[in-house]
Amino acid sequence: MKTKRNIFILLVLAFGAFGTSCSNNNSASAADEKVTGEEIAELSYAPMVPKPITRNYPTHVIVNLNIVERVMKLADSTDYMFWTFGGDVPGQFIRVREGDEVEINLYNLPQNKLSHSIDLHAVSGPGGGAEASNVAPGHTSTFHFKALNPGLYVYHCATAPVPMHIANGMYGLIYVQPKEELPEVDREYYLMQGEFYTKQNFGAKGLQEFDEQKGINEQPTYVVFNGSVNANTGKNALPAKVGETVRLYVGNGGPNLVSSFHVIGEIFDKVYVEGGEMVNRNFGTTLIPSGGAAIVEMKIDIPGIYNIVDHSIFRTFNKGCLAQIKATGGRDTLIFRKN
Amino acid sequence: MKSIFVILFFISCLSCESQPKINITAEKKMVKVNGGKFKTFYVSKTDKPLIVAPFLMDECAVTNAEFLEFVKANPAWSRSKVKRIFADSNYLKQWKSDFEIGESNKNIYNSPVVNVSWFAANAYCNWKNKRLPTLAEWEIAGNAPPENIPYTSVTDYIMKWYEKPSLPVLPNVKSTYCNTYGLYDMHGLIWEWTFDFNSFISTGDSRNTTNDNNNLFCAGASINVTNRDDYAAFLRYGFRGSLRGSYCISSLGFRCVKDLSSNKF
Repeated sequence: MKTKRNIFILLVLAFGAFGTSCSNNNSASAADEKVTGEEIAELSYAPMVPKPITRNYPTHVIVNLNIVERVMKLADSTDYMFWTFGGDVPGQFIRVREGDEVEINLYNLPQNKLSHSIDLHAVSGPGGGAEASNVAPGHTSTFHFKALNPGLYVYHCATAPVPMHIANGMYGLIYVQPKEELPEVDREYYLMQGEFYTKQNFGAKGLQEFDEQKGINEQPTYVVFNGSVNANTGKNALPAKVGETVRLYVGNGGPNLVSSFHVIGEIFDKVYVEGGEMVNRNFGTTLIPSGGAAIVEMKIDIPGIYNIVDHSIFRTFNKGCLAQIKATGGRDTLIFRKN
Repeated sequence: MKSIFVILFFISCLSCESQPKINITAEKKMVKVNGGKFKTFYVSKTDKPLIVAPFLMDECAVTNAEFLEFVKANPAWSRSKVKRIFADSNYLKQWKSDFEIGESNKNIYNSPVVNVSWFAANAYCNWKNKRLPTLAEWEIAGNAPPENIPYTSVTDYIMKWYEKPSLPVLPNVKSTYCNTYGLYDMHGLIWEWTFDFNSFISTGDSRNTTNDNNNLFCAGASINVTNRDDYAAFLRYGFRGSLRGSYCISSLGFRCVKDLSSNKF
């Protein structure tokens, strides 16, 4: 009788151990590192990206985001009432590390008229935080999530009517930096595409009105990078030097269009497809879905202006979808020359 | 053609005073709103339209000057006395002190009182032997078309309010439009409390519905709505969904209603 009992106990212990090892495997990436300390996330405005995180352990990261409704330029003489995360379109870039415990504090400025929320695609959980974060003007909402999966993700406002909140500029990127960081590059930039739907035609002067029907028809008046026509062209082009590798964190806020993202005169050396782990090399145009992202890298060989476009090219030619890299340095005539 | 329009314009103005006159010693004018069937914006298959009885409604929002009378008569509702659970720290922050709007704030005496909590608004209405309108009553009243301004649709009119930045000083009551009931500023000036502002997300009145906030977010928001193109309504319900009874917000005020049949409620 006693031996029988002992065998039973042994069996239980054996199964117990087996079970434990199983669950360990399942959540290994998130659970095996101890969360230590606390820090306030350094956020950046486009086209800049916060500098890489150098710590090799997860921490409690506090992200303080302000919601601001404000009139800004959509084009040279064109104004629009933007709804923003942090006062700009796209919203501030958030960089955390895989395994971090992230605390989002969303403050809706008192002079704002509407309630807002945030849905981060980096969140595991229904709604991506949207319901937990819905917040009235003059108030703050807080929620927590653990950054389980590395990669580049879109975040956006998810309060009804969602399409209107996104169409008014409420989107940005969050990068969950993998434990093993990507190789160091010379320059990192933040670019985000988005569409605007106005009652008046492209380039009309003054304060524009949102056109719901155009949105429903998926026929935008403007398609832009970083919130306005010519946000990063000419003197605001993204600087680089010949010989440098440039990494672009590219998002597409939508709300409707899928981007055929292309840099004229460059070849992508590497693209982390859809912002995930898979790397594709040596090609010219990458598809970025609405609500999706990609990390693209290119080494600049020749000085000059490189036009960044949505190669669904009417959008660039007629609707404003253009940004530029301006590369300076010596010319290698073996790679490119006239005549 | 033009003259016809002008004549129509004049006729339509008869029910609405053209010059706002505020006299706080007189009782606030109330107008009759016909009830009717009200279909909630977020519905389930089993929801039936609500039957709303006719009622009387304040013709415009309660002003700072009017609310000051209430606070003087009920010092428990003054800024320094009010309990935090009934009003957050923004309560009446536009005023100079407990019982003074302030000489420098002269231009808001006749503006709608804002930064008032649901509890404070409710107490005011009770003090006046009135009550806050239900969501259904407010929506029926607010959906009546404007009478004294040219407009294409109420939704368009409302959307224009969101497209303009907030003014530094909140304009007076009766500064926007008057609708066919004779109610002023139902849209385009402030948000207004309703008695059951969050009823559409609570289980209180609904049967067998999804009855949680999910309806307001992401793709869930387009399920079970009576008109998915009415973005102004989405914004209004979304705003109400973000409220709690103690919240005091600089664009949120109220007006009261009364039953037609009796003074009780």
